[in-house]
Amino acid sequence: MAPHIELLLQTLIAGILLGGLYALIGLGMALILGVMRIINLAHGDQMMIAMYIAFFGYDLFQIDPYLSIFIAAPALFLLGVGLQKFLITPVLRVESILPHNQVILTVGIGMVLSNLATVFFTSDYRSTPVSYATTAWYLSDYWKDAPIELSLSLPWSVSFVFSVAITALLWFFLGRTDTGRSIRATAQDLDAALLMGVNVQRMRMLTFGIGSALVGAAACLFIPIYYLYPALGKQFTNIAFVITILGGLGSVEGAIVGGVILGIFESLTSTYLGMGWAPAGRFIIFVLVLIFLPGGVASLIKKKRFAK
Amino acid sequence: MKRFSLAVLGAFVLMLFAVNLYAADLELAIPLPLTGSEAKFGEIQKRSYEIAAAEINAKGGIKGKRLVLHFEDSQAKPETARAIVEKLIGNKQPIIVGEYTSSCAKAVAAVAEERKIPYLVVASAADEITQKNYKYVFRQNATNAHYADAVISFMTQVVKPKSMAIIYESTNFGTSGAEDMEKQARKLGINVVVKEKYEKGAVDFKPILSKVKAARPDVIYMVSYVMDASLLMKQIKELRIDAKLYAGGAAGFAIPEFIQNAKDASEYVVTATLWFHKLNYPGAKAYADKYKQKYGDYPSYHGASAYSAMYVVKNALEKAKSWSPEDIRTALKSTDMMTAYGPVKFEDKDGYQNQNFHETFALQVLKGNHELIWPTKYASAKYIYPIPAWRDRR
Amino acid sequence: MTTMKKYFPLIVLGCLAMLPLIGLSDYIMHIIILVLMWSVIGMAWNLLGGYCGQVSFGHAAFFGVGAYSAGILYYHTGITAWWGMPIAVGAALLVALGIGFISLRLRGPYFVLSTLAIGEIFRIFAENLEEYTQGNLGIMIQQRSWVEKAPYFYIILGIAALTFVVVKIVAESKWGYYFVAIREDQDAAESLGINSTLFKTIALSLSGVFTGIAGAFYMNYMGYIDPGIVFALGEISILTVMVVMVGGVATYWGPIVGAVIMVFFSELIRSLPTVGAAHQTLFGILLIVIIIFLPNGIVGDFPKLLRLFGIGRKP
Repeated sequence: MAPHIELLLQTLIAGILLGGLYALIGLGMALILGVMRIINLAHGDQMMIAMYIAFFGYDLFQIDPYLSIFIAAPALFLLGVGLQKFLITPVLRVESILPHNQVILTVGIGMVLSNLATVFFTSDYRSTPVSYATTAWYLSDYWKDAPIELSLSLPWSVSFVFSVAITALLWFFLGRTDTGRSIRATAQDLDAALLMGVNVQRMRMLTFGIGSALVGAAACLFIPIYYLYPALGKQFTNIAFVITILGGLGSVEGAIVGGVILGIFESLTSTYLGMGWAPAGRFIIFVLVLIFLPGGVASLIKKKRFAK
Repeated sequence: MKRFSLAVLGAFVLMLFAVNLYAADLELAIPLPLTGSEAKFGEIQKRSYEIAAAEINAKGGIKGKRLVLHFEDSQAKPETARAIVEKLIGNKQPIIVGEYTSSCAKAVAAVAEERKIPYLVVASAADEITQKNYKYVFRQNATNAHYADAVISFMTQVVKPKSMAIIYESTNFGTSGAEDMEKQARKLGINVVVKEKYEKGAVDFKPILSKVKAARPDVIYMVSYVMDASLLMKQIKELRIDAKLYAGGAAGFAIPEFIQNAKDASEYVVTATLWFHKLNYPGAKAYADKYKQKYGDYPSYHGASAYSAMYVVKNALEKAKSWSPEDIRTALKSTDMMTAYGPVKFEDKDGYQNQNFHETFALQVLKGNHELIWPTKYASAKYIYPIPAWRDRR
Repeated sequence: MTTMKKYFPLIVLGCLAMLPLIGLSDYIMHIIILVLMWSVIGMAWNLLGGYCGQVSFGHAAFFGVGAYSAGILYYHTGITAWWGMPIAVGAALLVALGIGFISLRLRGPYFVLSTLAIGEIFRIFAENLEEYTQGNLGIMIQQRSWVEKAPYFYIILGIAALTFVVVKIVAESKWGYYFVAIREDQDAAESLGINSTLFKTIALSLSGVFTGIAGAFYMNYMGYIDPGIVFALGEISILTVMVVMVGGVATYWGPIVGAVIMVFFSELIRSLPTVGAAHQTLFGILLIVIIIFLPNGIVGDFPKLLRLFGIGRKP
């Protein structure tokens, strides 16, 4: 019995921690997609750039990756604002048969980012082998006669805590500050926001910037537990939009809940079905949510709130 | 104006002469992945090819001609590799050497066989490449089925495990490595309790590792590229999974980056390899030192194979009656030489054609360095077994 | 319509048909064959995306299904993979109906993302169902049908011509009219009595079938496939969208021009000695520039393109 419980618990722990990190990665895209209806397929590549910033911070200046958040997030904010102002806005303004030009634009941006990284940084795999990379807390160290062994990894836990903290900050920002509320207004109804005097252009730039900064923070949390190479963007773009749809466009709470659900689901699938199928599970959930719960988890939360 | 144009014409004619002088060059274009996810290995090979070519030219080239190498980036995509090779064949290159991934090698092999141009495989491991009764495809490196020979021998003689867990990445390479290990294990009466594949680049192995932990295997065998290998060992350490042996099926586990990235989690890990820089094959140490001096790290077996391939090609071109593809093929077939990579002799046996069967080895990470531990007659250090449990390691 | 314009496609076809006789190198022929194949995929996608407005980022699903129809047939029965083409038609049709049932009810970005996800699902299934597909070991044809390029060239030229004709006929028919109506304003079209689900499904099916045929051709021509190649998100699905958007959505020649640019120029830039490594950067920049300045593609915004170069009338 014990090994089965141990397996289940360890799987759940892994899933929750993974989920927290996923949520942060997805949060940026959820915000951007929710506010501006822009599908940003360069999202993962932006994360890759932030990871390189964190890497060089560690490699050249011995700055701990977690501290690099204060460097990478602002840097990505500027990158995001720049992209929005100089590339995305012009494209949105143009009259075209298909409105999907902006998606292709982001594909082009992603290509340029990942290829520039290859040219300047080479395809070598990099990592930041910090001293606490494999540190973990073990149940048996605290509870001498535990029937099962559970381990909680330090870097994973730290990223989870940070993710929740950053999400809480964001939620506070969007809910309680004027700027935040203006952003939400822009998301809910563009024209009404304009009429109410909201500087919509500015809000959109801000949103893209914040979305990018969020993924920059996620990158710094991520690099101690994974590794880095120029082409890693794509899989995180995929994860990001699954979280976005799962959580509900533009919803912060939805993204966290969606992230954790995805994390747990993937962990359980990996353990009990086989790891080869886990990525499929991710996309299957995605499609199911698109069909049956298009508002994502957020719509469930809203329903509950209104039902009271 | 007229004088000026005459001068230009004159310079042009002189240039033609100059070009003509160097027309006594032997141009060899080599397809390999220089960008994309396999770029690292493409680069190791490119550097090794270059080192070999420089040496060959310093000693007079091949039949007096200077060997000039060109590299074409296939990006590890089979259709690009195929396009490149078709271009080379169109340029009348009489022999093809190179490629790294098994998918690309398969595509190139198909073209080479079709067009009757000899192709020397240098690093691709999928068994089928030399099992298709191709007459023009030769392979210098050992195949997946034999990669782990030394590791298996070490296991049966020293570790004597009763159960094994196999974790492998879902590419061509990982899948064939895992299949072969499973077959061998069953033959030896080892119970394969877990056999799981994962997609390359996976973030979290803990679910599947927890499953492995619950099954308590004696040996955990992994077939991975370097970063997955590092992550696997790091997470095994995190979960404190104690096995009698952690073994890797070459590639990711056999290069220095594995140790650099997994740090102390890599200690005592045994891995299969096709070559090691401390072997006393003729020229091995010289090549390895030269590479290390230029690039900072010892080369992997991919590099050694690439380096020696140039010598094999030189040997064939010198023996061949002419440089037509047919004659080169005949010369290649009769190759029987010792190189820095090891013995090279192309045989038809066990269902393989034109395959070089060479010995494989097992390395172990000891005190932060790879050492050759098996077979003991080649060992550079004594193996450590049994290995200490995670809890007991500092 | 001037006589020239009317017979233009036939003239082009005639010229192309004579290409193998010029004696171009195998390498160039290979590139041209790929260009033609991508024209087919582009034209097929254009029917669904350009004319009907349903932008699919998962066309690799059809391409891969077509390729594997041929591949699985060959691998498990030994029958020549060319028979895979008719099978691919049926298989792609089934897949189209399935995808249609799931995705066509979604609108805008949701549809786009769902097709992307479905394309990836197909890839992962192909990787894992090793008994049928050989997973990542791939399927390799022992001996391709011909060594020379000419037969393949004529086959794909024929398929491309057929696709062109079908797209033209459909686009100029009542169906085409309904497609555009749905693209411009689905609700308005519905209120006029157009069954949008039916016609979207028709567009998807036609689109999928031709893409599937291209996939089956790929299996026969390249001789080797695996899930990472034929179900690829970047190299197949996204490339398809780029081919059409760069070339010109909702035009007849757009996908063909796009295929020339994306395949031909891409290969050209790749083989440049020093710049080669940065070719993706150049390409990405080219893409961005075209998207910003020529949002309807090169053919779609041809007048604008001419103006940029100083030719043509001012607006």
